[in-house]
Amino acid sequence: MRTTPTSELEPLLPPGVTDDSISERISGIVVKRKMGLGWIGGFAIAFSLLMMFNYAIAVLFAYGVGIWGIQIPVAWGFAIVNFVWWVGIGHAGTFISAVLYLCHQEWRTSINRFTESMTLFAVACAGIFPLIHLGRPWLFYYLFPYPNTMGLWPQFRSPLIWDMFAVTTYAIVSVVFYFVGLLPDLATLRDRSPHRWQRVIYGLLALGWRGAGRQWSRYKMAYLIMAGLATPLVVSVHSIVSLDFAVGIVPGWHTTIMPFYFVAAALQSGFAMGLILIIPVRHFYHLKDIITGRHLANMAKLLLATSLIVGHGYFTDTFMSWYSADPYDKFIVADKFSGAYAIGGWMLMILDVGVPQLIWIRAVRQSPVALFVIAILANVGLWLDHFILVVQSLHSDYLPSEWRMFYGTKWDWMTLFGSFGLFLTLFFVFIRIFPMVAMSEMRGLVHKKPGETKEQGA
Amino acid sequence: MLRLSPLTSMKALSLPPQVQADGGGPRFWKSLEEWSHSPDFLPYLHQEFPEFVSEWDNGMSRRRFLKLMAASLALAGLTGCSRQPQEKIVPYVRRPEEIIPGKPLYYATSFSHRGYGKGVLVRTEMGRPIKIEGNPDHPASLGATDIFMQASILGLYDPDRSQTIRQGKDISTWNALTQFVGSRIEAHEQDQGAGLFLLMGQTTSPTLVDQFQRLRERLPKSRWCFYEPAAPVRAQSISGNDVEPSYDLSKADIIVSLDADFLFDGPGNLILTKAFAKKRRDPAADFNRLYVIESAPSITGAKADVRWQHKPSEVIAFTQQLAAELLQGVPAASPALGKLADDLRQHRGKSVIIAGDYQPEIVHNLAFQLNQALGNVGATVTYREAPRHPVPTIQLPDFVAELKAGAASTLLIAGVNPIYDLPAALGFPEALAHVANSMHLGLYDDETGSRCQWHVPEAHYLETWGDIIAIDGTPSVIQPVIEPLYPDVASLMEVISLFVDLPPKKGYDLVHDYWLRNLAADSPVAWDQSLNKGVVVEFSSPALPPAPVVGVRDAPSPDPLKASDLEILIRPDSAVDDGRFANNAWLQELPRPLTKLTWDNVAMLSLNTAKSMGVTTGDVIRLEAAGQSVEAPVWVQPGHADGCVSVTLGYGRSQVGEVANGVGFNAALLRSSVGEWSRMLDGAQATGARRELASTQHHFSMEGRDLIQIETLAAYKIDPNKAQEVKPNPEPRENLYPPFEYKNYAWAMSIDLNTCVGCNACVVACQSENNIPVVGKDQVIKGREMHWIRIDRYFEGEPEDPAMHFQPVACMQCEDAPCEVVCPVGATVHTSEGLNDMVYNRCVGTRYCSNNCPYKVRRFNFLEYSDVKHPTLALQKNPDVTVRSRGVMEKCTYCVQRIESARIDAQKEMRPIRDGEIVTACQAACPAEAIVFGNINDPTSRVSRLKALPRNYGLLADLNTHPRTTYLAKITNPPSAA
Repeated sequence: MRTTPTSELEPLLPPGVTDDSISERISGIVVKRKMGLGWIGGFAIAFSLLMMFNYAIAVLFAYGVGIWGIQIPVAWGFAIVNFVWWVGIGHAGTFISAVLYLCHQEWRTSINRFTESMTLFAVACAGIFPLIHLGRPWLFYYLFPYPNTMGLWPQFRSPLIWDMFAVTTYAIVSVVFYFVGLLPDLATLRDRSPHRWQRVIYGLLALGWRGAGRQWSRYKMAYLIMAGLATPLVVSVHSIVSLDFAVGIVPGWHTTIMPFYFVAAALQSGFAMGLILIIPVRHFYHLKDIITGRHLANMAKLLLATSLIVGHGYFTDTFMSWYSADPYDKFIVADKFSGAYAIGGWMLMILDVGVPQLIWIRAVRQSPVALFVIAILANVGLWLDHFILVVQSLHSDYLPSEWRMFYGTKWDWMTLFGSFGLFLTLFFVFIRIFPMVAMSEMRGLVHKKPGETKEQGA
Repeated sequence: MLRLSPLTSMKALSLPPQVQADGGGPRFWKSLEEWSHSPDFLPYLHQEFPEFVSEWDNGMSRRRFLKLMAASLALAGLTGCSRQPQEKIVPYVRRPEEIIPGKPLYYATSFSHRGYGKGVLVRTEMGRPIKIEGNPDHPASLGATDIFMQASILGLYDPDRSQTIRQGKDISTWNALTQFVGSRIEAHEQDQGAGLFLLMGQTTSPTLVDQFQRLRERLPKSRWCFYEPAAPVRAQSISGNDVEPSYDLSKADIIVSLDADFLFDGPGNLILTKAFAKKRRDPAADFNRLYVIESAPSITGAKADVRWQHKPSEVIAFTQQLAAELLQGVPAASPALGKLADDLRQHRGKSVIIAGDYQPEIVHNLAFQLNQALGNVGATVTYREAPRHPVPTIQLPDFVAELKAGAASTLLIAGVNPIYDLPAALGFPEALAHVANSMHLGLYDDETGSRCQWHVPEAHYLETWGDIIAIDGTPSVIQPVIEPLYPDVASLMEVISLFVDLPPKKGYDLVHDYWLRNLAADSPVAWDQSLNKGVVVEFSSPALPPAPVVGVRDAPSPDPLKASDLEILIRPDSAVDDGRFANNAWLQELPRPLTKLTWDNVAMLSLNTAKSMGVTTGDVIRLEAAGQSVEAPVWVQPGHADGCVSVTLGYGRSQVGEVANGVGFNAALLRSSVGEWSRMLDGAQATGARRELASTQHHFSMEGRDLIQIETLAAYKIDPNKAQEVKPNPEPRENLYPPFEYKNYAWAMSIDLNTCVGCNACVVACQSENNIPVVGKDQVIKGREMHWIRIDRYFEGEPEDPAMHFQPVACMQCEDAPCEVVCPVGATVHTSEGLNDMVYNRCVGTRYCSNNCPYKVRRFNFLEYSDVKHPTLALQKNPDVTVRSRGVMEKCTYCVQRIESARIDAQKEMRPIRDGEIVTACQAACPAEAIVFGNINDPTSRVSRLKALPRNYGLLADLNTHPRTTYLAKITNPPSAA
């Protein structure tokens, strides 16, 4: 650590910053700044994608899941891949907000709002897929344990039920955590809004926040508790999602490493997505002094660390399939790297384990462009990872007579890219209506002397 | 109000009513409105509906005007209609004796195919035939069915069937047709029928034969021709008749098939399969050995213990060499041949040589001689003279030539489609154009029908009277099981009756009259019994049985074919036959036994031939023969002989219906005559185009997995337990969940891979029984076929000359079913009798169960696959089985509706369900009796005893699924290496 270059010890705050200047700069983006052409253009693209998503889903509801490429044996396709991928992306947000908060990693303050928003939007995208992938989506509520005249409950042995509970819990906790974290900032927005209608709306949302000492003290405690509640979810949600696979009898799915490896992959995709979002925003909104190179480098290091864990997961999975001597599992692992999907198998290894190794190089770590590219590639790799897991495992399981290739249709792709539309649209709206950096926490940071955290964190 | 005409009601509004002098309301009122102006009414109105008074008083408010205008218009519409005739409907005050709602009735009738009959029992539900079963009393069925019999029920309801009589472009009537035929007969009575030409398919129907003879007597100069596009070739007896062999495989230890697909094709396929399977069921008892020599792999070849693949010319050479060795003692040309000859010599009188139906006459001739020399005639094979044509006929080419010469003024084409299936060289379209008065009778207004002046929709065999003879000469009566769906339809008999009877008779009278004349003394009783049993009892037809054959005429040697060139082999398709079933969607989507291909015919090539031509599966090649060319997609098939291309008939239809139009290519064009089944190709070049083919199985190999356990007979006799040792069922059971208890019944199935011949009958039977939808070619390409039972086919060994294996796979009804635990909504649940039930209403379609099924037997309605567009198809649906909607998973249920029906019967009689009382649809159809269903809680049941055999094993049993369906290992019987 001693030899860490100076740029990575860059102060977390710009020089000469005060409470007021921080609040002004950040809230100004929301309440004062006019909609720029860049924003409108970006929003238009995102919104077009969202409309494509809507169209794809409308067609889906009209005709059925047969518009996708799924078949027997590959009865799960893009929808489940996308679901797992989006849920994973959500994880990094909670990790940064909650786990790093509990660990007093205060560099998180300027990015946690970003990543929390990312979590929410990713979970929103993810939540759509299990619903629309149903053959009869209008009966989705059969999965809930609601009182009904049939006297039927869902089947609690099914991992899909666990999954439903896990994702629902995660969505609810994430929303509440997000909202609690927003409260002081909403009050700031209320106070700094030039128009009455803005003040009314933000006022209502701020739930009467006055910044009183008692409010702060309760607030801090509530936030801590929420962080404590959210922390196990980082681990539990994707562990349970992984059980959808691990409980199955399908070779390639039925391994105990799944939960561990899923969480790592989830965090990796989340850190990557965080970088993908933060790098352009800090550039276009001139926030380089608030979201500094040090933040990016830290995120990159986390990305690197998780990519190593994922790599370890691949290794263990491959080793165990050989060690188990299970012919079906051995076949599927060999097929992953030499069969019809071998390109995908190798690409995912290169993209989500190989490429992030460039982060070891300092110059790469300090280059936002390089990090942006690495993050995109890592996320493509992780999507491929889930694709290979779902599709390649299913496409050649026990009986060779039923082996079949899966090909995504245009509707599959439209739904995938359409979900980016939903995500980005929400994100564009977010940066217009909420402060993208947690002002209250930044103000807290202003009052801390450099080096103070270390002692406090002990 | 309803009695008012619109005019009067309007008048009532516009004109003040004539008030009678007494100050009361009008005495004669024309409307309620008018009447209502009475002074008594108005105060009453004020009291009752004060808020409406103003409206009522005000002679014509806008609202009232509109209201009444609307009412008037509606009434005007009503009065504009003619009064419907009164139709009294009467509920079943006394219900018909046999009809109990919900209880099926079975009627015996016969399915005829290429002129021969196979007995069927038709299951009807409230008057709707819905399912075909085999007739155990019928000698050509013995209770089994083949794919064509099973699928024929769909043909009845085919929405594309022709429905009206057509003259020219106009819809016509039966009366007009009668007049037309009458006028033609009058004309022909002048010339003794010299201008009357009749072209039809072969038939053995005694009533029809009688009618033909009467017509011929009446018009002796009439010209007749019978042909079948897929008629078998036969040896000629000394008297010049076709020699019809009849095999008794139950006595044959050695069977040699000279390119004979006797397990699949032909009028005797079911009995042959049954007898073949009988000698393969028990390895401890006598066990037959099957040698097959063939060009394109068939299911018979797949069952062979020794199989050689040779191109068509070499099959002839092979037969000649075999004959030379066995008849003349010429030393064997090859060691393999020598071994076969030795085996045959050692089994004199217990072997049989079967010449393929589509082999040239010389092969049949040699087979006859070989069987005679080996002492098989009279033991394993009998030869009889085929029934002669009922009337003197002329050869097809002469017939067409006479048509071309303008000799015909009237032509009747019945049940054949010469425009489609005759070789182009004959020039039939041109010949037809020369005929002034042409009539066509057919199920479809097809390629031929549309070119004839008259088209008469033919009655489906399930809606008409008739009779037919089985392969062994047993006649049976065809009785209708439903009123014709369309009033205009007529059977061939009824059309011929127009020519010979005045007044024309209905089918019932014709058949009934004939059999009353020909039955034994107690005719009415015998008639009833004949209908009931499905075979004619106590008949005394003089034509039957034909004389045994003592010798055959020398057959001409075929022209030697050049060995270097490519030969072509033409066969009826193994799903749509010669094209007559082309519009049957079940058959179109039926995976062909060895290619697993659906919805297409292909040019099949061996691996080597494809390599040398530089083509691969899906490449379109142009085949030239007989002056014609067709473009066909290539299919590279393991087990195919080198140096030849094989194609199948029945495709390339242009005018038949939605299902078949434009599907595949017409291989009949490559023939120069109807009986030509192989010839030299004039050319074959790749076109560079590609066609996507829909196959349901893409992987050939078992990947070294022990899915089909195979053992040679010799090894099995040494250690019968080997099969079980390979895959022991894990005991004791390890499971997190408490075990299920099966207190009453525990249903299970045993499938004998030794006897299963892969004929697909179970697949179609299941489709018919369980309302399984057809999905279409594009969906099959995507991998979404819906068959609940499929027949997996694997190749073993060298791809050029592999062993072939079949394995029927349906839901295994696992005791520890992976599907059950993962369904989030409990839509697939375990029953107290061990079934994995599907609860369609509960299914939300997560498809997790399918992913988790190691056997991949679950089928998902990815789209709305059930046909709701065509109302006639709804009639075929089994009322005991749910028609599934989109988004729902489905799979084999062990025919749970049949289990429940048996349970109801048993409970009514207060007894347990008997062994064998429940027969699943697949089991009922199976000609090899390879599938046995029953209760394993009863150790004496047939299925329990089969499961106790050492060859019993569970598929993927090491996964701890405990499948209820288990297999009996396949035993092969190759000759010893010594």
